[in-house]
Amino acid sequence: MEELIQTLKEQIIDALNLEEITPEDIDNDAPLFGDGLGLDSIDALELIVILDRFYGIKLANPAEGKEIFKNINTIADYISKNRTK
Amino acid sequence: MTQDSISITGLGILCAIGNDAESVLDSLRKGVSGIRRMKYLSSKHDYLPVGEVQLSEDQMKAMLGIDNPQPMSRTTLMGAIAIRQALQHAGIEDVTGKRVVLINGTTVGGMDLTEKYFQQMKTDDSLLDLPQGNECGKSTVEMAELAGVGTARTCTISTACSSALNSIILGCEMLRADDADIVIAGGSEALSKFHLNGFNTLMILDKQPCRPFDATRAGLNLGEGAAFVVLEKNSAKSLAYVSGYGNRCDAFHQTASSENGEGAYLAMTEALNMAGMKPSDIQYVNAHGTGTPNNDVSESQALKRVFTEKMPYVSSTKSFTGHTTSASGSIETAICILAMQNDFVPANLGWTQQSEGCIAPCLGLSGVQLDNVLCNSFGFGGNDSSLVISKVAHAEISHERPCHEYETASHITLSAEDDLKSLKAFISPMELRRMGTLMKAAHLSALRALKEAGIECPDAIVTATAKGMFSTSIQFLEDINANDEELLKPTLFMQSTHNTISSAIAIRTGCHGYNITYSHSDDSFKWAMYDASRLIRTGKARSVLVGFYDESTPLFDSFDERAGRKPSEPLHAESLVLIRK
Repeated sequence: MEELIQTLKEQIIDALNLEEITPEDIDNDAPLFGDGLGLDSIDALELIVILDRFYGIKLANPAEGKEIFKNINTIADYISKNRTK
Repeated sequence: MTQDSISITGLGILCAIGNDAESVLDSLRKGVSGIRRMKYLSSKHDYLPVGEVQLSEDQMKAMLGIDNPQPMSRTTLMGAIAIRQALQHAGIEDVTGKRVVLINGTTVGGMDLTEKYFQQMKTDDSLLDLPQGNECGKSTVEMAELAGVGTARTCTISTACSSALNSIILGCEMLRADDADIVIAGGSEALSKFHLNGFNTLMILDKQPCRPFDATRAGLNLGEGAAFVVLEKNSAKSLAYVSGYGNRCDAFHQTASSENGEGAYLAMTEALNMAGMKPSDIQYVNAHGTGTPNNDVSESQALKRVFTEKMPYVSSTKSFTGHTTSASGSIETAICILAMQNDFVPANLGWTQQSEGCIAPCLGLSGVQLDNVLCNSFGFGGNDSSLVISKVAHAEISHERPCHEYETASHITLSAEDDLKSLKAFISPMELRRMGTLMKAAHLSALRALKEAGIECPDAIVTATAKGMFSTSIQFLEDINANDEELLKPTLFMQSTHNTISSAIAIRTGCHGYNITYSHSDDSFKWAMYDASRLIRTGKARSVLVGFYDESTPLFDSFDERAGRKPSEPLHAESLVLIRK
């Protein structure tokens, strides 16, 4: 799980161009949207592309992302249960 | 005292429900939608229903009498057909001695052709003229020639999905200022793999026929088409009259509308005020109504704010035509005129279930007299415009048009050599992370110009760009090809429309005022200056931020080099603040 979390953080930093942020800066339990890291609705769409590209998970409805993308732990948990690659 | 009225004396239209006004009218009255399975566009995502014009490029060429095997852009061909129809309808044959202006709204321009030959152009020297046709302005000029009005002055507006309505607004202003005798205004937009994939990354395309304002709505269907109207002053033979208009900016988000529909509310209110009308004077609203969860609830909120006492009939005809993006404003203006002339309210197809927060649309009604209708057209970046169309001429609120002089309060020009790091003083890293070089340079020059002029939020923002967000667009096109239309980045698409910079600066400065982008090749800046000075002259703005932003890309530089054309400037970002003297 720890390896997945580290890879996932790197993928997020790269896809969202979070140039000044390192994986260590992102707390696994901290909210990614709103008051936390401050991501927005377009970032949520980029996260959907990450799930598809690296883990073979296709979300049909962006609304599904709301629960999954709460924090790094929730995403990693969802990936480990649903990945197809 | 002047009491000019703006007459609409002709219209031309082709879209998914017909190739001329008569067949469009017939489909509207019968309630037959044009949203079908994809036939002319070639895309992997052919399961997405679209509203295509049921003509091949060859059939369009034949209609125009073009005997030329060279590939041509659908945007250009459709536009030329609609312009010809409009002129014929208006009974205009000879324009000798008349000052004719053609104003076209488009974002795709010749991109439908560029994307088709994108890989081939990289190696095939016989295709080296094609990249030039990518520019929106080039498409307009070619359209004018094909339509037989090659001597007209031409202009191109690109404010994404409100482009065509803004063309009509500029046309009216030019007539009022006596800068033209005849204006042909509207827009044309072909479906492209580019924006089909782009909207797909935003996850706002419905796999079923769209259902605007319905509780189960799940997005829009893209459509294509062109429509133009002929505008003249005080004509004795009018189809209808333009009695008011408003252009405002939501200044909220690049691809989403604000919850209370502020930009839409301001645009509708401005249009009604200009027409000297009360909300109760309007019998029908042709809504922007795309069918996305966000647009329809936001527009409904704005409608409820404007029409507090009694909601007029409202429907979205995108349920017939699909969302024809940059052409939608003039296509729906034409539909409003047809409805007005034939006493009916077009249906909002697909609606069965009331959605919380939304208006209840009209499902079609005949035998209704429509004296005044409102047509809404909103674009990415919150470029929101509204038009009031009337059956009879309304005496405009008779006052002298003011004539103020302007001066330049500040003027900043940046090039590729300039250090953009100082932008950090204005913008946080979280916001900077998405910006490409052109966007950064544009922001730096604009924010410095505003600071130097001592203005935090200008009254209006007028932008010029020949090529738009060029490197972003080309990157998206490269990705479409490299990844076979999969795994594309929404971040790239959301910044790919020509009006991205103008609306991003509006969002940053909180400017809800007039906002427009001119994309007419080398004349883009000239048109922007014309419009900006007009705003000050007529008292509509006391301060205007004018910007001129363009960039080249290595790929298109290589095309120019191979073709022996002079190289483009790598980066140009110029911002001025004009103020009333």
